[in-house]
Amino acid sequence: MSVTDTIAPAADEAPARRHWLAALMRDPAAALAITVFLLIALAAILAPWLAPHDPAESTRNMMLPPAWAERGSAEFPLGTDGQGRDILSRLLHGTRLTLLIGLVAVVLGGGIGSLLGLLAAFYSRLDPWIMRTADVMLSFPAILLGLALVAVMGAGVTPVILALAVATIPDSARIARSVAVGVMKQEFVEAGRALGLPDRMLFTRYLLRNCISSIMIFMSLRFGQVILLGSALSFLGLGARPPASELGMMASQGRDFMLFAPHIAIIPSLAIFVIVLTANVAGDALRDVLDPRMRS
Amino acid sequence: MISALVNRLLLSIPVLIGVVIFGFLLIKMAPGDPAQIMAGPTATPEVVAQIRQQMGLDQPLIVQLGRYAERLMQGDLGRSLISNRPVLSELAAAVGPTVELMIASLIWAVPLGIAMGTIAAVRRGSWLDRGIMAVSVAGVSLPIFFIALVLMQFLGVTLQILPFMGRGGPLWTIEGLRHLVIPALSLGLIFVGPVARMTRSSVLEVLRLDHVRTARAKGLTERRVILRHALRNALIPVVTLIGLQAGYLLGGAVVTETIFSYPGIGRLAVGAILSSDFPLAQGTILVLALGFIIINMIVDMLYAVLDPRAQKS
Amino acid sequence: MTTRKTLGLATAASILALSGAWANEINIAREMDANNYDPHKTTALAAAEILFMLGDTLVSIEPDMQTLSPALATSWEVSADGLTYTFKLRDDVKFCDGRPMTAEDVVYSFNRWLDPATASPVKWRAGEVESITAPDATTVVYKLKAPFSELLYQLTQSFATVIDRNQVEALGQDFGIQGMNGTGPYCWESWNPRDRLTMTKHAGYAWGPAFYENKGEAQIDRLVWQVVPEENTRTIALMTDQTQITQYIPYIALEQMKVAPNLNVVQSDSAFWTYFIGFKIDHPSVADPAVRRAINMAIDQDALARDQFFGGVQGARSYISFETKDWDPSVEAELPKYDPAAANALLDEAGWVAGPDGIRVKDGVRLAPIGYFFTGSTWQKLSEYTQAELRKIGVDLQVEIFDATVAWGKMATQEFDAFGMSYPYVSAGDALNLYFPSTNIPTPNRMNWKDPETDQWLSEGKAALDDATRAGAYSKVLHKVHDANVWLPLIHEPRTIVSSKRLAPIVPHSNYGAALYKGLDLKLVE
Repeated sequence: MSVTDTIAPAADEAPARRHWLAALMRDPAAALAITVFLLIALAAILAPWLAPHDPAESTRNMMLPPAWAERGSAEFPLGTDGQGRDILSRLLHGTRLTLLIGLVAVVLGGGIGSLLGLLAAFYSRLDPWIMRTADVMLSFPAILLGLALVAVMGAGVTPVILALAVATIPDSARIARSVAVGVMKQEFVEAGRALGLPDRMLFTRYLLRNCISSIMIFMSLRFGQVILLGSALSFLGLGARPPASELGMMASQGRDFMLFAPHIAIIPSLAIFVIVLTANVAGDALRDVLDPRMRS
Repeated sequence: MISALVNRLLLSIPVLIGVVIFGFLLIKMAPGDPAQIMAGPTATPEVVAQIRQQMGLDQPLIVQLGRYAERLMQGDLGRSLISNRPVLSELAAAVGPTVELMIASLIWAVPLGIAMGTIAAVRRGSWLDRGIMAVSVAGVSLPIFFIALVLMQFLGVTLQILPFMGRGGPLWTIEGLRHLVIPALSLGLIFVGPVARMTRSSVLEVLRLDHVRTARAKGLTERRVILRHALRNALIPVVTLIGLQAGYLLGGAVVTETIFSYPGIGRLAVGAILSSDFPLAQGTILVLALGFIIINMIVDMLYAVLDPRAQKS
Repeated sequence: MTTRKTLGLATAASILALSGAWANEINIAREMDANNYDPHKTTALAAAEILFMLGDTLVSIEPDMQTLSPALATSWEVSADGLTYTFKLRDDVKFCDGRPMTAEDVVYSFNRWLDPATASPVKWRAGEVESITAPDATTVVYKLKAPFSELLYQLTQSFATVIDRNQVEALGQDFGIQGMNGTGPYCWESWNPRDRLTMTKHAGYAWGPAFYENKGEAQIDRLVWQVVPEENTRTIALMTDQTQITQYIPYIALEQMKVAPNLNVVQSDSAFWTYFIGFKIDHPSVADPAVRRAINMAIDQDALARDQFFGGVQGARSYISFETKDWDPSVEAELPKYDPAAANALLDEAGWVAGPDGIRVKDGVRLAPIGYFFTGSTWQKLSEYTQAELRKIGVDLQVEIFDATVAWGKMATQEFDAFGMSYPYVSAGDALNLYFPSTNIPTPNRMNWKDPETDQWLSEGKAALDDATRAGAYSKVLHKVHDANVWLPLIHEPRTIVSSKRLAPIVPHSNYGAALYKGLDLKLVE
């Protein structure tokens, strides 16, 4: 959100910025969600230093329950999984990978999609082509794209990121286009055109800068969904490969132990839930404060 | 309404062509030689070459695409490389169960979501509203596999009141229904949240509109205002949401079908793609895309029913 | 817990009773489906399970996997030169459609197996056939070009099932897909691929293998074989009586199932199915015999069996289990023993020096072999365990996982250094003749094991006319391949059947891994 500094049409945003931050923190739910999310992100970044064990190392202590349960051990605060690996360490590393997958996918897909959407709004010649292509892409649900990409590339993080990114493109193109079409109708674009300003300048100076906050809001709202989808793909065995840790994969490996050591599947599932929940609440709050028009 | 349908049909043509080409190319790029797969691991190179020729795999890509499209027109989707059964019959066997699962999921989830959203909107700002919204956002954030595993554990294992393994039979049989409950609860649950949120915001929007105000001013009871005027209009974005989320539904179905060993199209697609069963994978992709188009067509029709203005334009 | 469970079970029972589908029918859960049920066109265990029940073979094998037992053939004679086998058939055998079976049907079935047009992947199992003829309705003469000491054992496999010519011709490509009319204790009802296959009792069946107590018809009216790929789902389906019997048990659940009041757990005494990792002995990272020996010393197979499989399998140090026909006990003393310190010392001595990342290097070759594995929880456990243990001796196994259908093609190439595989066998000869002849390079001899002595001994064993000669020849091969550490054996998997107490307990059979074999002892108890 640091782009909105000093440009003519958006000049009055500087005071508004202070305002939205304050407004955001006044909502206790949003404040809590943002704090928790940031803490999780911090823990994920610091995972290599925080993790008490090597996440890939099998010890001979299989399926230990968390420390507070009977038979638990303080050495493994959240217990161990079916192969004797420390769940806390895997959780930290897994969160790192999961967040990274979501972030890269949203930025990549959202970026490309938004650019296409803006282009469609800016050059009406391109509009039908871009939007029709987006429609075709929409007919490929992310999960199907993921499956197809895995068939081509083999299971791994890369095809999952690509699938999530590609699946984000059509939606972000649609959103960006609809916002941009509104902006294009405003007078200053007309005026710029009349002044003979070059397209590139009009595009970046006026269109992009006026749409960017909506695009960012869309991306933050999308983030939780992408994490959910990514973890579902990993759950199906299409994502990260051992010995890497990824939350969806951990849950998937844990389901074989559901009956006897349910914590192995439940802990990573809850982690996904908390990440997505805080991201969603924060995204909602951000949207309400920043852009009430997008409320639908 | 008919013109809207025709319009949608025309629009679907490039989408369908794109889907056919995309599915064809994607599978072409996949590793593994279909002739080798068909011939089996111990076949001699001559046998493989012969099969390659029979399948037309030695022709240029564009010719292969042409032939593929031609066969599609005749309803011939080839045979599965793995089971050697016609793809069409494999698909036919799997589509029914998936449609059943989706209907069984939406049939309770959508009304529940709409009810929750409407109550939240009417009681805007109350604790009830906040509670409903909190539950909805939590619902949106739950991984589907977690919901499925927990429901299976609770209803299937702890209480032991329902089966959760495979499909019991057609929807109209008691066994079929009982087997559907847990999968349909899992899949539906991911839909309640989005529908409730969308309903709430669109009901709020509509309550501000002129004709609703007029209705209120005329002294109609609040209940009537909401049911007669507000809800009907508020449903339009909800219906759109369902169309847009069809892909989401499908993704959920893949996971649900996998966990419950349910013989639907999602599990078929996963299996086909993971096993490089090219014709079957192409078939499932086609069917899924077709399903997406059909859902959106139904959405358009509902649109026309709900919003009389859309008919005129 | 117990009261709640009892309450739960009572509820379950009442609801199940309400559903009314429980006449004399049982549900069998299994992990995967077969590609088809044509005996000549599939090698899947999932197909063998079904084919043993739908059809019969001339000869059968007892659960000890050593003793042959009469089945469709009441007796057989082998000529002194080992080239001619004469089978006497029963005269009361009928196909499921009611048609009597004659020697002509047997001849047709075997000839189709051998016909190049059938392109059967298991043709070699029939030996080098000169001719198969039927001099009369109850006699089959099987003439070989070269002696094949394995033949009778091979004829107990599902590939040798007698099939119905009329149906093969009527169904064409759909034979084994839309139907498979056999002479077995159960008859094909329907198949919905990847979901379920149902079969019904073959009325009047009275020609089961001699070792079964039940000499008559099957005792269950209808069997539903349901595909349930999820381990967790299979486990709790069994505990909640949604399925009554399975041999695909998640090992983690075994202990709990043994104490569950409503379940029986029966394990076979010995295993005839082995999981191993094979090495391409001409690839740089695994070409050094010292490396392969060190790898074999780095894995504690007993710990693997105990910790990863909860004691449901046996740790394997040999390529076939010690109970296998023609296994030579003298090999055992020479097998490498678990000793990571010695393994490290061995590698140091051989000049493999640990790099900064702990992985050993020598002459620019990094000890980072690429391993190809199958998907599925068993290989996931085995490959991850091996990967973690090997890291401790400075070997970085690269795990690449493929779905079964892709894996077969991938594993026919030269692009990997190690591969994970599991296989059933009836005898040492069966196992060795599959994996070690140089003519079987590149597959199934994926190790590129090219050794004239091995080839020589294998043909001696195949052509042997008496037991001692055969066992002697195979013993030499066993010594040689174990000594070269061509494989890293991991586990021997016995067959374990878990079944509802509503069924009489069943001793698992090991033939090709099909634990229920003919299913003649499946029976509800009241």
